[in-house]
Amino acid sequence: MSPSSTMYKGKTGQWAFVLHRITGFLVFMFILLHIVDVSTLNSPHIYNSIHKLYGNVFLRLFEVGLLFALLYHALNGLRVVMIDFFPRAIKNEKGVFMFMLSLAVVMTLIGAVFILKPFVTGKV
Amino acid sequence: MASTIKRDSMESGSQRRSSRQNFETWSWLFMRLSGIVLFFLALVHFFIMHIMHDVTTTTVAFVAARWSNPLWRVFDWLLLALGLLHGTNGLRYIMDDYVRSPIKRMIVKATVYGVSGVLFFIGTLTIVTFK
Repeated sequence: MSPSSTMYKGKTGQWAFVLHRITGFLVFMFILLHIVDVSTLNSPHIYNSIHKLYGNVFLRLFEVGLLFALLYHALNGLRVVMIDFFPRAIKNEKGVFMFMLSLAVVMTLIGAVFILKPFVTGKV
Repeated sequence: MASTIKRDSMESGSQRRSSRQNFETWSWLFMRLSGIVLFFLALVHFFIMHIMHDVTTTTVAFVAARWSNPLWRVFDWLLLALGLLHGTNGLRYIMDDYVRSPIKRMIVKATVYGVSGVLFFIGTLTIVTFK
């Protein structure tokens, strides 16, 4: 098998791959930060003030971005698993990609309503 | 894909090469299987902690009530362990692709593996020792 035949080239698959890599990287960076902030649990004062900070509108927008990255990575990952394990099941690879991307966008928008609502209603 | 790898290693006849390719096959399988498990663990976690509850209400008292059930500690530890392994292995692919100089690659990899290892230890300690 020559190297070029194993590389992703052009079209939908390449963009799916690039977005998968970027979102995976971002989610992983957040996990590292998240482990550190949760590790302050045994100092309740510090933990609670950090979580108050997460209620800030900029960090809420960041939370929406995290939700999209997580949803896209999870749904596209499912597409990759389907292609690898059941190659015959997927006849319309591009269609499945567009479906997963749209689903990630729609679910992010719905999630954004819940995440941003306390800020809009002035509860935070 | 697996059959191609096997044939290549038999032709080259190099033991080192074949064990490396064997590792990559297991790595490929691990990413698929852990990915399927993480699909549920990560999305359920996000739904409960960010959608059902607002981020400002998930205080120490909230976590204490949640972790009074040991099953949630197991759930969170699985998410920690699989998330770190899946993420570190993903970062290994990225480092192999973009860090071309052998010395730089060794330094970057040692740093990433070190940070992941330390955070796995800190995370496990938090889940086990919190009262």
